[in-house]
Amino acid sequence: MLSISVIVDHISKSYGYGIFNKKYECILNDLCLKLDRGKTIGLLGPSGVGKTTLAKIMMGLETPTSGKIFINNIDIWDSKKEERSKALKKIQMLFQDTQGSLNPKKTIAKSLYETAILVGVKISDIDSKILEFLDIVGLSPDILCRYPHQISGGQNQRVALARILLLNPEYIILDEPTSALDIAVQAQIIQLLRNLQIKRNLGYLLISHNIPLIEFMASHIIYLDKGSVVFSGSTNKFREFYLNKEK
Amino acid sequence: MKILDICDLSVTFSTPVGDVFAVNNTSFSLNENETLALVGETGCGKSVIANSIIRLLPQNAKVTGSILFKGIDLLKVSESELEKIRQQEISIIFQNPSLSLNPLYTVGSQIIEPLIIHKKMSKQNSIDKAIQLLKTMGFSNPSKAYGMYPYQLSGGMNQRILLSIAMTLNPSIIIADEPTKGLDNELVRDIIDEFNTVKRVNNSSIILITHDLSVARELSDRIAIMYSGEIIEIGETKKFFKKPLHPYSQALLNSLPEKGFIAPNGTSPSMINVPRGCKFHPRCPYKKQECSKKIPLFYSYDDRSVRCYLFQ
Repeated sequence: MLSISVIVDHISKSYGYGIFNKKYECILNDLCLKLDRGKTIGLLGPSGVGKTTLAKIMMGLETPTSGKIFINNIDIWDSKKEERSKALKKIQMLFQDTQGSLNPKKTIAKSLYETAILVGVKISDIDSKILEFLDIVGLSPDILCRYPHQISGGQNQRVALARILLLNPEYIILDEPTSALDIAVQAQIIQLLRNLQIKRNLGYLLISHNIPLIEFMASHIIYLDKGSVVFSGSTNKFREFYLNKEK
Repeated sequence: MKILDICDLSVTFSTPVGDVFAVNNTSFSLNENETLALVGETGCGKSVIANSIIRLLPQNAKVTGSILFKGIDLLKVSESELEKIRQQEISIIFQNPSLSLNPLYTVGSQIIEPLIIHKKMSKQNSIDKAIQLLKTMGFSNPSKAYGMYPYQLSGGMNQRILLSIAMTLNPSIIIADEPTKGLDNELVRDIIDEFNTVKRVNNSSIILITHDLSVARELSDRIAIMYSGEIIEIGETKKFFKKPLHPYSQALLNSLPEKGFIAPNGTSPSMINVPRGCKFHPRCPYKKQECSKKIPLFYSYDDRSVRCYLFQ
């Protein structure tokens, strides 16, 4: 199982509830996927099916009940702390709630500055680095002195993207990245994500309800239902599956 | 026949950083039994128009123009007269269904409230009517749904409850502010079906405020496109989707998935430092010299009105 990719290996996740008669509800059941650099996998399924739970497990934010996650061959639950932390930096997540993913008490400059410090950018280089990444995501420097609530949803999403790119990731989980945006802004963000993928060879796991968006972005689609994979295949075959399902 | 006639409506908000020109010289009308979609980006003034119609704007709002409902200017009537018009004649469904309902009361008690207050119905009769409405709105077990609290229902179900409340008094106009925002595809489908039921059962006129073009396409008879506080194109929905006229309308349709998500350049202008002339001219691929000097008037083309010098 040696490869440069993110491998989700037979992941299951159950949550326990109840105090005296503890019961377990299975959210994810024996799920496998492989995310390569430069490729996009689309993850579809009804609300509450476990898509975001899977994303959190891949990010190391939740522990699976069983199964393993490998990031560039490193088992994130069975490796040294340093190795694990290094591997987890390769995978980042762009959230749906654009304003909520930035600290409302900090200016955009401060949010980006902190991230730059975290990745070890020299103090003397920070300003130029931040300006470089703002340019990459198509924002002008005058946004730096503003707070998240003072800028639009699309601009917030671009700032969140700039912050992620500062961390130099290889894979990005996009959790409904455009659902809170207007149609025109949505198109701008989609084009930006596509260009970044080509330039930086990024691997995307795109979680969305928006089927046309997933079909546009992804080369491989996985459809989850009741915690299990009910479809996994190419975008062309997905249309056939979905039409049959609708019947 | 016109049921609502909005003429030269302008709404300005005074803020510490300057006046926000939320709606500028906007005129449109709504006919009986018609569904008019107001479409545009977030912050372009759609909800401000809705709130102006029933005068629910904050105190720092300065409103000019006229809003004639069955010949009465809603901007001039007294508060007590307006209270009768709200809900009985004009009903509004706000954004975010879960937050629009009172979490401490069952949904049933919130449906019967307007019936008891406005129609002076007995409690039992209003309960029967509420259960009937819930059935019309697609609840398989309406009596059970009646006794539930908003947190026990999904976003889509709460939206149907709001629709039921809006329908209780058979209003002449229902204003629906982003009824499908934040709902997944299947729920959006459900809500579209419920609106079709409302149109069939109630014969109400509907103002549908949305930024979702597919919802506007399915539900509306006419469509008005807003950009930066102004209507820039208004006309029959079918014709609009066949051939959008204004460059912004064209950009909007090009952003749709079937057109390959072709993004327009730039972003919407500030509502404080508004550009001179046509608001879209800094982003427009067809801009001419006059576009940056004077706001274009409405020009008629193909039974539609468009605010662009290309159609002069």
